[in-house]
Amino acid sequence: MSASARTAEQPRGKAPARSRRQAEALVRERRDAVRRRARRIRRSVAAVSVTLFAVAFLVVYVQLASGHDPALVANAERRAASATSVSRESSQSATMSGSSTGTGSGASDSSASGSEPETGESSASGGEAETSESSASGSEASSGASAVTTSQS
Amino acid sequence: MHTAANILATATATGPYLFWITSRAAGIAALLLSSVSVCVGLLMGGRLLRHRRSELRITHEALSLATLTAIVVHGLSLLGDSYVHSSLGDIAIPFLDGYKTLWTSMGIVAFWALLVLGLSYYARGRIGVQRWRMLHRFAALAWILGLVHSLGEGTDAGQAWFLASVAIVAVPALSMLAARRLSPASAAQAGATR
Repeated sequence: MSASARTAEQPRGKAPARSRRQAEALVRERRDAVRRRARRIRRSVAAVSVTLFAVAFLVVYVQLASGHDPALVANAERRAASATSVSRESSQSATMSGSSTGTGSGASDSSASGSEPETGESSASGGEAETSESSASGSEASSGASAVTTSQS
Repeated sequence: MHTAANILATATATGPYLFWITSRAAGIAALLLSSVSVCVGLLMGGRLLRHRRSELRITHEALSLATLTAIVVHGLSLLGDSYVHSSLGDIAIPFLDGYKTLWTSMGIVAFWALLVLGLSYYARGRIGVQRWRMLHRFAALAWILGLVHSLGEGTDAGQAWFLASVAIVAVPALSMLAARRLSPASAAQAGATR
């Protein structure tokens, strides 16, 4: 091997080491970039999820507070229907037996007002509380439901 | 002054329903997130965004974890609702709750299926990638079960805003799922390239 060839090989020997270092740095850089991108994606998904929950919460809250909640409306309709049917039945029975008119209307009144808090309670939980009609927290429910209807008006 | 009083009155009135509102909101968020997650998962297997596969994978994973978190919030917040009186068994074991048993059970089964199929991703090395991939296809079925649960039992299921927002994310996912199922050749190809 000639001397000129040897001098030509020397820089070549250093070059792979340098290029390896450069390659490693490049790999590290790319790996960091991938990690950064992954972190950014995860953060944005988390932010979108929280926003989505907040928006849904707000929509349902406003719906409930303004009296347009589907569960409340459905129960109010059911309540109205049951109240009218009860009053009809009582008026029919009143006409059938004239002496019991006062007690009949009284019964219908009390049943209508009595069912109101219970249905209000069940409406708050989307009708699920039908099973817990006779729950001890009836007074709580009635106060909550009446407050919602107050805010409606 | 009057407005402040109104706000206070509304806040007081809706106070007892906070758990109930939280549960509904979390359910809606879970449905929307899972629908987007299914879309992204199906896009991963397609040719459309092949060069973005790694980003899609991270997005799919993050969306799936967010969905599971939202479902957990959806169920656990029912425990705090003083009107429903749900027990842990009612929200975790199918066919135990007396209220709308079928729809509720559908939701519970969908949750467990999504949890197992979703978290099995982290054990795919043990399961075997091919086997895991085959199992993971059932996640779409669990999503459909969740969709049916929300449309059948959801308090807001009849509301236009709810149906519109669900349709925006669920219809593309259902279309892509149908396209995938109807063209077995493309599915096989996608599975091979993954």
